[in-house]
Amino acid sequence: MAQHGSDTWVIGLGEARTAAVLEDVSINEFAWEAIQPALREAGVELRQVTGAVTASQDFWDGRTISSMNVNEVACGSLGSEAKVAADGVQALGYAAARIADGDQHLNVVVAHAKESEGDAHTIELAAFDPYFERPLNPDDTLVAAFQAQALYRTGAASPEEAARVVVAARSRSEVLAAAAVEDVLSSPLTAEPLRELDRAPRMNAACALVVCDDAKRNELERPAVRVVATASRAGAYWRERADLTDMTPASAALHDALDQAGWALGDIELIEIAAPFAFQHLMIAAALGLGAGEQLVARFERGEVNASGGWLAGSAESVAGLHAVVFAARKLRAGEARRALVHATTGIAAQSHHVALLESAA
Amino acid sequence: MSAPVRAAIVATGQTDHGRRFDTSMAEIAREAIDRCLESRGLHLDDIDAVVAGNMEMFEGIYLVDQLFVGALGALGKPLYKLNTGGTVGASTALACYHLVASGRHRRVLGVGFQKQSEGSTQAAITTVGDPIWERAVMAGAIGNFAAMASTYIADSGVTPEQAAKVAVKARRNACLNPHAHLKMPDITVEEVLASEMLAYPIHRLDMCPASDGACAIVMAADQEAGKLADRPAWVHAVATAHDQQYMGDSPKRLAVMRSLQAASRKAYALAGIEDPLRDFDVAEVYEPATYAELAMCENLQFCAMGQGGRLIDDGVTFLDGQLPVNPSGGVLSTNPVGATAMIRVAEAAMQVMGEAGAHQVPDVSRALATGYGGNAWTDVMILSAERPR
Repeated sequence: MAQHGSDTWVIGLGEARTAAVLEDVSINEFAWEAIQPALREAGVELRQVTGAVTASQDFWDGRTISSMNVNEVACGSLGSEAKVAADGVQALGYAAARIADGDQHLNVVVAHAKESEGDAHTIELAAFDPYFERPLNPDDTLVAAFQAQALYRTGAASPEEAARVVVAARSRSEVLAAAAVEDVLSSPLTAEPLRELDRAPRMNAACALVVCDDAKRNELERPAVRVVATASRAGAYWRERADLTDMTPASAALHDALDQAGWALGDIELIEIAAPFAFQHLMIAAALGLGAGEQLVARFERGEVNASGGWLAGSAESVAGLHAVVFAARKLRAGEARRALVHATTGIAAQSHHVALLESAA
Repeated sequence: MSAPVRAAIVATGQTDHGRRFDTSMAEIAREAIDRCLESRGLHLDDIDAVVAGNMEMFEGIYLVDQLFVGALGALGKPLYKLNTGGTVGASTALACYHLVASGRHRRVLGVGFQKQSEGSTQAAITTVGDPIWERAVMAGAIGNFAAMASTYIADSGVTPEQAAKVAVKARRNACLNPHAHLKMPDITVEEVLASEMLAYPIHRLDMCPASDGACAIVMAADQEAGKLADRPAWVHAVATAHDQQYMGDSPKRLAVMRSLQAASRKAYALAGIEDPLRDFDVAEVYEPATYAELAMCENLQFCAMGQGGRLIDDGVTFLDGQLPVNPSGGVLSTNPVGATAMIRVAEAAMQVMGEAGAHQVPDVSRALATGYGGNAWTDVMILSAERPR
């Protein structure tokens, strides 16, 4: 990432509670629940933080400029905040740019969503063309169903294999009940061929990082993880895609990041993929070069991919990718892996893709 | 600035702002992009990344950048979507800068766009207020600026006549700008004061319009900049600051603009600005209301605190004054929110590049642009014809 300026280091990690409903905290308090432990880990107080990059969506917060909910607790009054309306992995990439050019030295990156405070169908309906599509009352699940139909028709994956991805994720979840393949396949049909358990449940989730430049890292002497590269690629709007199963933007983002890092995919030991639907994990993983078919499903089951369980194990819009960054950074700090890849998506039917490559400081 | 890569704005493009019932949102964004790229013979293939700015609740389109990805020229490229309120166009320009100055990309396209005619801006802006305490009494931008202007009047003694002079200056300057929305060549102070009272002390002509429009810029890295433009607008400083989210938490928000003070002081220090009135040749400031421009001039140190009224009385900020402020006509003449703050940046860059046409200020070497919005969010960018050392 930082070809010319400072590297970016993650020196603090924090997660709020992940739950379907949290009525005891406001959005502001909820973000603080994630930020406070991250600051504590970094050994800094809020007043020392000069800036933040936040990730959230106005529609989910029901508030234009949704970051106004959190910027006081992210970098204090008169701090320098910027907000991306995408997954927090892209917020991390933007924070790294602000650090690399010397503008910022010690920042918070925070992603937050209280999905219990919005109506998913109403919000997602607003993402569609207002004149020609909204009268048909679509949402992300409907288009994902088209996508799943297209994938299953190719024979590259099956509903049973997608169900096994769900089972693997829930077996690692700290907040969701375990499920068997039969549970997934017999859960209520949402849009043919998708079942309720094929999608990550709507949750409240927030997580935060404290990131800094080389000088701050040396000054604070905290366990650190290096942000080696970040990359994003935008895909076409769902209706304009010739093939809904084509995940070229995911592989393009990965190769951009690998080129920046000078790594090969085989150099990476820990891989996390964040997408809302189980079958999308199989499409994206294949596009990332992680295998196909039975061999790929088995990698999810063994935890070689998504050892955290990923979004299917409990997270939220804008948060899922940064959640995986928190998980991966903990593993890297603990010496359980040396290099990690985190992927995330934004948009209807996994339209755009973000990638971060992380490395242990050891 | 000590950024590892020097960066400059090398191209700008704007739509003809106003009520644009002849275009869709996608078309209006693309109109600005095409004008921007064509001004330098560039193509989308020349662009490494795109940063988009739009306040999506205004038109009611969630993930608007994903819907319009093709029109934004971002297909297959890194696409960043920012929405920071009134500042968003400037925040987008700052993101373009950071993505270039960090060494991440060499040519970044920034685009801000809004079609206020397709939504209810006031309804959307009302959602920034506390749902219990603020929404009922300070709904939308007008209510907020009315409260702020009342405080400012009490604190500084500025008069409605002095504020009205800002409106006259803006709408007359706009007549020289082919892109401006409100052009009123014959506007007078009396006409401003006689216009409908929206919320004391804000008359209709004290307030910015609701416009449709878009603006685009290309930010380029060091070696590229000189090849793409004869006279690039080099970035010498950027800064951002926001205040507390609820207006009641930061008293005298218009009289004492803490976030504007903090951001401008940081930028001035980075760019070596000692006397802003002397050191800048032109300024494009984000003034949604007449009173705001006067207060901003004070807080930007163009004059002493409390002397904003005197500054306009003396004609210092007029097109032929010592420091022309908003020769484009400013926000008071054109306000497509997602683009508005980028227009400030683009107009400042045009002045530095000598490409502002009939509203060009002679011999501009250094220009200031600001963005302003919800929770007093302030972005500052300082541009110069001279490459930073």
